[in-house]
Amino acid sequence: MQSESPSAPWRHRLAVLTLLATLALIFIGGLVTSTGSGLSVPDWPLSYGMLMPPMVGGVFYEHGHRMAASAVGFLTLVLAVWTARREPRRGVRRLAWAALAAVVVQGLLGGATVIFLLPTPVSVTHACLAQTFFCLVIALAYSTSPEWREASPVADRVGLRGAAAFGTAVVFVQLLIGALMRHTGAGLAIPDFPLAFGRLWPPLSDAGVVVHFVHRLGAVCVLGAILHLAARAWRSADPRFGRPANLALALTLIQIALGATAVLTQKSVVPTTAHVATGAAVLGVCFFLTLRAFHLTAKSARLAPATPDLGGQAAHA
Amino acid sequence: MIMRKAIAVTGLCALPFVASCGGGEAPTTEAPAAAPTAEAAAPAATGTASITGKVSFEGTVPPGEKIKLNADPKCAEMHKGGLERQPIHVTDGGLGDVLVYVKSPVSGTFAAPADAVTLDQKGCDYTPHMVTVRAGQGLKIRNSDDTLHNIHPRPTANEEFNFGQAKQGMEKVRTFDKAEVMIPVGCDVHPWMRAYISVFSHPFYTVTKEDGTFEIKGLPAGEYEIEAFHGKLKNQAQKVTVKDGEAAKLDFSFKG
Repeated sequence: MQSESPSAPWRHRLAVLTLLATLALIFIGGLVTSTGSGLSVPDWPLSYGMLMPPMVGGVFYEHGHRMAASAVGFLTLVLAVWTARREPRRGVRRLAWAALAAVVVQGLLGGATVIFLLPTPVSVTHACLAQTFFCLVIALAYSTSPEWREASPVADRVGLRGAAAFGTAVVFVQLLIGALMRHTGAGLAIPDFPLAFGRLWPPLSDAGVVVHFVHRLGAVCVLGAILHLAARAWRSADPRFGRPANLALALTLIQIALGATAVLTQKSVVPTTAHVATGAAVLGVCFFLTLRAFHLTAKSARLAPATPDLGGQAAHA
Repeated sequence: MIMRKAIAVTGLCALPFVASCGGGEAPTTEAPAAAPTAEAAAPAATGTASITGKVSFEGTVPPGEKIKLNADPKCAEMHKGGLERQPIHVTDGGLGDVLVYVKSPVSGTFAAPADAVTLDQKGCDYTPHMVTVRAGQGLKIRNSDDTLHNIHPRPTANEEFNFGQAKQGMEKVRTFDKAEVMIPVGCDVHPWMRAYISVFSHPFYTVTKEDGTFEIKGLPAGEYEIEAFHGKLKNQAQKVTVKDGEAAKLDFSFKG
């Protein structure tokens, strides 16, 4: 196999394009649920027995989603084959094949939601695998970036890596709970905001109320985790960590506002769908920051004596 | 090394989605209990009593909902003046399209008629809105529109289905095996379309005429619980006693 330089700028650009397309696809997929169009095309993989049905009513959203998903699938296929042929690092090649496998499974899950009439476990898994695939593409994009090859590790004396990984995990769990809430029809189980049935703690007699309230509590946990991550990033005095952390914090605040808007507007389509996509964006930024933290920092014991660390102090072996 | 960690982190993050298998089902509502069917060997219990009456509406009919049809140009073309969804049809004080049926007790086994009942998708709406059919009887679903529809009932006791009818003139016959009242039916392509299918194991049901009047015939003498369903307004139930050869009077009044 003839290898290109690992920086492979065009492959990196394709990975970035796939990443952006995936974020758009998550929004488009969210529109399908928000408009109640999930079963407007009752067959799969064809649509009303056609490759291209009339794009009317709910068909516009559902078949539009299938078209966007096919585009992302194609981009992923090209990226996976190109990576397999040109990437010398076995780990990155495996990552590309994992992304391809994930997008194929995601397509099959999409078909299963239609054929089996939106069973909750399949819908929730479809939603969560979308986020997982998004992270895989982020990893592919970062691992092919110039920064990946050219970086010199610094010591992590502010606990950035742990904070970033923890923040990412908290966001993912919140996304899982959000998907569960959405696909069990509990999005308006608590109809008011910021209180819940006029109280701080609502009566938890109904399963929908429980899931919804846990999602609200999860938002508080996410905010705490992101603030913790941002504090560590600011202490590092390194803009490579500070800027993404600031972005994650801003997106989290926007996400909370969108969640409130979704409730107060009785799940109006645009803010509700934007809430889905912004959740993915928060996860993406946190995951990217985690990768960056792990790649650009190392335990101080492994560094040479004069290597600087986060916070500007020289590390000592 | 870092790539292994990235894959491991991603894999760990992917594990929680497995928990969705315990996510539970979407909330469902229990259908009102229909009269239990008797064993196959028991003869059909019919008689000469009947129940007649009128379902009336008191109050002000709320304004109908203006439907935006621009999502489908074919529907917009069929309703150039717009389409208004008004589920409350009042004529001379009477409320039409109300399902009235004997809830209990009903004994005996009744064979399903051989003829099918038709549910038509016409003018980007359902005809009729209140469909009644017997368990095991054919329901012919037809697309009379030059646009595609999908027919998607959401039963709780029967098997749910959803299929598309892309072309004008397409027909398909389906059956429901179990008695179930007020199954909502919708079209996911055109979300304003709404009908109800009620499935019975006996023949003692009807839908009120435009003026709200109804008649249920062929009942054996006895005391019965009669239920009236509108779909938009809160359902009502009353008891009535009927005698052989006589028509008992029973009226319902829905309030707006």
